[in-house]
Amino acid sequence: MMFWVLAAVMTVAVTISLLIPLARHRQTTTQVDDTDAYDVEVYHDQLREIERDVAGGSLSADQAEYARAEVARRLLKASRGENRSVYSSGGLGRIGQWVVILILPLVAVVGYLTIGNPGMPSQPLAARVVPAAPTNGGGDIRVLVAQAEKHLATNPQDGRGWDVLAPIYLGLNRMQESETAYRNALRLLGPSVARHTGLGQALFAQSGGIVTAEVQETFVAAQSLEPDNPLSAYFLALGLAQEGRTDDARSGFAELASNSPADAPWMPLVREHLVRLGGGEDMADQSAMAGPDAAAVEAAAEMSGEERMEMISGMVAGLDAKLRADPDNLPGWLRLVRSYMILGKPQEASDALARALEKFDGANEARQALMDAATQFGLEPKELEQ
Amino acid sequence: MIVELGHYALIMALATSLIQSVLPLAGARIRDNGLMAVAAPAAITSFLLILLAFIALTVSYVTSDFSVQNVWENSHSLKPLIYKFSGVWGNHEGSMLLWILILVFFSALVAMFGSNLPASLKANVLAVQAWITSAFLFFVLLTSNPFNRLNPAPLEGRDLNPILQDIGLAIHPPLLYLGYVGFSICFSFAVAALIDGRIDAAWARWVRPWTLAAWTTLTAGIAMGSYWAYYELGWGGWWFWDPVENASFMPWLAGTALLHSALVMEKREALKIWTILLAIMTFSLSLLGTFLVRSGVLTSVHAFATDPLRGIFILCILIVFIGGAFTLFALRAQTLSPGGLFAPVSKEGALVLNNLFLTTAMATVLIGTLYPLVLEAVTGAKISVGPPFFNLTFGPVMIPLLLAVPFGPLLAWKRGDIWAVTQRLYLAAGVSLLVALAVTYFATGAPVLAGIGIGIGVWLIMGSLTDIALRAGIGNASPSVMWRRLIGLPRSAFGGALAHFGLGISVVGIVAVTAFSTELVANVAPGGKIQSGPFTLEFKGLKPNSGPNYSELQGAFSVSRDGENIAEIVSAKRVYTARRMPTTEAGIMTTGPNQLYVALGDETPGGGTVVRVWWKPWVTFIWFGAIIMSVGGVVSLFDRRLRIGAPARRKAGAAIAEPTT
Repeated sequence: MMFWVLAAVMTVAVTISLLIPLARHRQTTTQVDDTDAYDVEVYHDQLREIERDVAGGSLSADQAEYARAEVARRLLKASRGENRSVYSSGGLGRIGQWVVILILPLVAVVGYLTIGNPGMPSQPLAARVVPAAPTNGGGDIRVLVAQAEKHLATNPQDGRGWDVLAPIYLGLNRMQESETAYRNALRLLGPSVARHTGLGQALFAQSGGIVTAEVQETFVAAQSLEPDNPLSAYFLALGLAQEGRTDDARSGFAELASNSPADAPWMPLVREHLVRLGGGEDMADQSAMAGPDAAAVEAAAEMSGEERMEMISGMVAGLDAKLRADPDNLPGWLRLVRSYMILGKPQEASDALARALEKFDGANEARQALMDAATQFGLEPKELEQ
Repeated sequence: MIVELGHYALIMALATSLIQSVLPLAGARIRDNGLMAVAAPAAITSFLLILLAFIALTVSYVTSDFSVQNVWENSHSLKPLIYKFSGVWGNHEGSMLLWILILVFFSALVAMFGSNLPASLKANVLAVQAWITSAFLFFVLLTSNPFNRLNPAPLEGRDLNPILQDIGLAIHPPLLYLGYVGFSICFSFAVAALIDGRIDAAWARWVRPWTLAAWTTLTAGIAMGSYWAYYELGWGGWWFWDPVENASFMPWLAGTALLHSALVMEKREALKIWTILLAIMTFSLSLLGTFLVRSGVLTSVHAFATDPLRGIFILCILIVFIGGAFTLFALRAQTLSPGGLFAPVSKEGALVLNNLFLTTAMATVLIGTLYPLVLEAVTGAKISVGPPFFNLTFGPVMIPLLLAVPFGPLLAWKRGDIWAVTQRLYLAAGVSLLVALAVTYFATGAPVLAGIGIGIGVWLIMGSLTDIALRAGIGNASPSVMWRRLIGLPRSAFGGALAHFGLGISVVGIVAVTAFSTELVANVAPGGKIQSGPFTLEFKGLKPNSGPNYSELQGAFSVSRDGENIAEIVSAKRVYTARRMPTTEAGIMTTGPNQLYVALGDETPGGGTVVRVWWKPWVTFIWFGAIIMSVGGVVSLFDRRLRIGAPARRKAGAAIAEPTT
């Protein structure tokens, strides 16, 4: 409401400012504008300037004489007053008034209603982040993260802050930020097993599931601090498997399995790896597998690049079809958008995002999650109308 | 709410501009003073409205309001405050808004201070300005609206392109735009004169200061941009003949010609047609530059084709304004009364020569810039026209011009004596020749061209000093009289001499850097040493560091000369967290006019780091010269604008009556 009041005040003020000159000239009917008079003034100024130059010594007497003669000739010509314009305010001025009164508000209001977002408030970040904290009581993790980020922006040397934030990023699937946070924590607080393994996971996720040399180094560093760390053992063994050093990988996984309690949560995954690597069938328990995803991805690791892409594309297409049939599945949508981005199909990803947003129209929390995901994946959501 | 008010103000400004484009023009045609009088308040109102819009966008940036799409795309809550401000124009939409803001600011200035202009001229000028404003407002609102909103708003923005997070970016575009858009006023005056069919003395008096102001800011803007590219891109070069650079250089060349033309026009009422033509040409090139940079056509002709709306829109603006203005010129130019006459050898004649050389140079740059684009659009073949082309075409055109520059100011108006001038320049010529020979001699192995090039630079410097000395009456007046005359010289004389002096300084810098700089790529481990120029650099190793929105690896070098430690250089490789984008922060040490430039490359497996080191003697002269040129522009701008050029005395025997107007 306040917006429209201010907009109206603005419109009226602008309209009046344009009407004043039209109205003023209504009263003075005719006006003579001697166009040459402006030139005459310039020439008079120039003549005065010549005198000043002569007095200053930068113009000699005969130069000045020539200059004077030239200006005088122009002055004479201009003084004849051949270019006199007579202006008056005819009936057309009235048309001008109506043009202003009608066109101005019409263009402004119609234009704004077409492309503007009337009534949409400004949303400065400070207003969104800070007051939310006391009421939410730490409920919204994203707000907490934003607050921590704000704190670290001003205190980038606060190692504990980075240490707390890093695993949260990891959980939120914000791998790049997680990597930075872990690196900062390592730099400021020194090495620890948790920091090294966390950094390793963040790097692993960013490399698309490949144990790169950097990932390997990180887990080796963790292992040197705590030789029995299962995470390090797992990823190092996985790295060996990816390098094609099957025997070494198998013994790595076997060692991890023997060091772990039988009901450890990672055991099914380890067993499954052992099966793939062609050892320890006796330990394999197909029913306890970590899920089809892990198996499929592992299978994919052994295919050629082309086959793998085909398989993944097939899975994503399946998910897409499933969501078309049953769209009320937010995690599914998030996974789909992400999968398309990973497959390098931004067009499909933004299409999926648009469909998801349409589906969750009105459910602000879900939309927010989608928007955040989009931001995180570097996707550009189309401009969203209210 | 401020965001939406800003948006509304922007649309309101379009409505006002539309009225300002039509009513005053109609008023001037049918001689209705009421309609003409609408122009001034409309111009001032448009300025206030667009200022409000600009403030609204700035507030959104400063408060990190990510519900504004433009802010979300180009800002980040952790970005330092100064880059939140500069981020407003560090992107397409915002920079177009700044463009328009400057445009209407200039219109408002004409509206407020134009009381000494004939009424119809003022009305026409403001109407033409309003056409440009309306066209660009349509463009912004329909294709590049900075006020598009996002709902719900993302929590964090995507940050400004890191290479743009620099103080250079905060200053460079506004300066450049002040220049580009400043020429719009000259354009509007030219078109208004063509519509009216006459050019008054008052016209000339107005156009020259605008040209000067625009030229001054453009010069400073280009120099700034060049220095920014030099230290931020980490390639060690200061000019790349890149289309974006050419886009600003072409208006500068045409603008320089316009500046000299306008000078003749103001003082002698000659070269009227030239001035009009150059005014149209200069602004057309500014528009072309805007098109090249803003349409995406430079990234790839195909990128232009996938999102054609923006490009086609600017192309239409281009065709309408440039085509319209040149058509009008073709139709009306002959109705303008020709200006004063002059002999071929005279200051006027020298300036015509200057115009011809500058426009030719501009044409070579234009061809070098557009030819690859046209070729790609037509045949799909991608070629790049690099420095070799420009060195072979632009260089040869500029050398005779540079040699001729010192003659110009010394020639008399109307009829000059080239031999007398040559005699008066003998000292300058002698000194330049000596310096050229000395450089050739001392730089054994250096190309003789370098000596000649530096000679040309010194020739310009000495020529400008000779000009001032002669005006003060050196040799034929007592010291006290000389001093008095020196003080009494018009500021425009100092301004002109300063500009030519600065040009000489830049030429010396360009030649010296081209001929004498050394580049070295080395793989060094901590403790390793590199020899560059007279200095020894010792690599101290890499250490991580983090800033507000980036983390970096800093490489420190201690610099010593003859075993004595004199300085520390820190060069860095940064990664900006939000975009995961690496940038190079070159480490630069300045000693006198020379610079030692260090850029870090990748780390190598053996624990070493690839380091590129340039020793660039006299490099700062390039920008220092440009700054002197701008200062010359400012000095000249503050001169009283009433001067006429006193013609030279006619020689005995040639006393035949000739008309002068």
